[in-house]
Amino acid sequence: MDSHTPSSMLSPLAPRADFPLLAANPGLHYLDSAATSQKPTAVLDALRGFYETANANPHRGAYALSAKATDVYHEARATIARFVGVSDSDCLIFTRGTTEAMNLVASSWGRANVHAGDEVVITALEHHANFVPWQQLALASGATLRVVEVTANQSVDLDQLRSVVNHRTKVVAVTHVSNAVGAITPIEEVVRIVRSRSSAVIVVDGAQAVPHLPVNFDALDVDFYAFSGHKLLGPMGSGCLLGRRALLEAMPPYQYGGDMIEWVRDTDSTWNVLPHKFEAGTPNAADAVGLAAAVTYLTRLGMVNVRRHELELLALAESKLAALPGITVYGPPVAQRSGVLSFSMTDVHPHDLATILDQHGVCIRAGHHCAQPLMRRLGVSATARASFYVYSDESDVDALVGALQAAQSLFSAAS
Amino acid sequence: MSGKASPASIAAMYQEALLAHHRAPHNRREMSDATSSAVFKNPVCGDEIRVFVRVDGGQLVDVSFTGRGCSVATASASMMTDALCGGSVSDALATADAIDRMLATGDADVALPATLSPLRGVTPFAGRHGCARMAWQALREALA
Repeated sequence: MDSHTPSSMLSPLAPRADFPLLAANPGLHYLDSAATSQKPTAVLDALRGFYETANANPHRGAYALSAKATDVYHEARATIARFVGVSDSDCLIFTRGTTEAMNLVASSWGRANVHAGDEVVITALEHHANFVPWQQLALASGATLRVVEVTANQSVDLDQLRSVVNHRTKVVAVTHVSNAVGAITPIEEVVRIVRSRSSAVIVVDGAQAVPHLPVNFDALDVDFYAFSGHKLLGPMGSGCLLGRRALLEAMPPYQYGGDMIEWVRDTDSTWNVLPHKFEAGTPNAADAVGLAAAVTYLTRLGMVNVRRHELELLALAESKLAALPGITVYGPPVAQRSGVLSFSMTDVHPHDLATILDQHGVCIRAGHHCAQPLMRRLGVSATARASFYVYSDESDVDALVGALQAAQSLFSAAS
Repeated sequence: MSGKASPASIAAMYQEALLAHHRAPHNRREMSDATSSAVFKNPVCGDEIRVFVRVDGGQLVDVSFTGRGCSVATASASMMTDALCGGSVSDALATADAIDRMLATGDADVALPATLSPLRGVTPFAGRHGCARMAWQALREALA
């Protein structure tokens, strides 16, 4: 906490000094953490530490250094498993991120289990990473794709989900938190609805949830859950798929190669045990160690505190934006959103907003947020999105509001 | 950040000449007697611009556009219709090439019709070049 900040101001939850990029750019208001987060020194040190003290190929050598690399890789898995409530850490598969995890499930489990006549259920709120793999699976298998609509405030329409899920439903893929508008899906309710109507497998996109909310995979009682490391202070190219052991064991491998095999005969092969069956090739041990450092950092902050901090900033930002004319905010009320403020301004295109805000040192995302199905339903091509994280504070909100006022006056200048 | 746009370059891009076209675009209308039309969709932002042309004897008798876009995309389309109406197809394609060259090189010596000179302000913003080029890409396809 910054002791110079008046107590009435909202301070960052994590000191900006912990984040070298932010510390080096005091005038920067980074409000694009839903796209990717900044990285604390603890994570950068862990990456460097792996390469300086433990770098060898895990699972390979009969020498001490390789054994050390193997140990730290496995410790990283255990640390991350504890963070997301996975009691059986063999059921945590390292991936390049949420996108790869979703493709893994749709390809491996999907092709083996989804056939013509079956139904695949997704929602209009999904990021393309949890939309396109299922759409393509349906096209390839001849299954019927059912897209559950969103409510008037862009949350998953649970009533429609109730009417769509039936005994033909093989899989329900849904986002935990919308990247485009921040809407939080009540996963417990989704599970009740799906389990009471079908034996469908439930797949959850947690890319925007794990960084911002306390998440416990075992307690959620879903079948697959995916998230990305880079959105939760960790390295780019890191991420995880969590799955039920019975499903993972029955699934064919996603990729073939080293590490994932048991025996390779000339005409066939057998597979390694979990989690290795799904981690072909040299594992990305360094980024796993970096991701473990990130979740350790977040654990120290406390995910309940992270959630509270973002809610406070979001409420503050929304009240200040309400004072500006011509602003439309998308998504449900603040309490049902992650730290995402998705909005549009009358007569100013989101791209123009992003360019003008950039001049004020305010980084926001402008675009379709990889959620074109949702944008179509909103009737817009794009929105502007500001998103908060642990290092955000009231000065970021004020800079956003000030820059929006500047954009408004530029575009409404006397013509 | 060092890559940040300067206030001067922001003011140069969002000059009144460009914003006026954005607020009240010229020739934003469908063309029932068009000889050709083409749409360009920008996958980055989801915006799209459709350009209509009526060609007679190698001359662009009429040019118009429809669609949605940011201020730069809309103003560029609007200025384009002003600049090209009544000229030849070959001059129009040469002007499209000149726009690309001006954006790519930032060269202030690239000759452009005066109507299009506000587009020079977009040059420092690489992220917005695609916006400025949308209408011109649709035009090329319509004339292909």
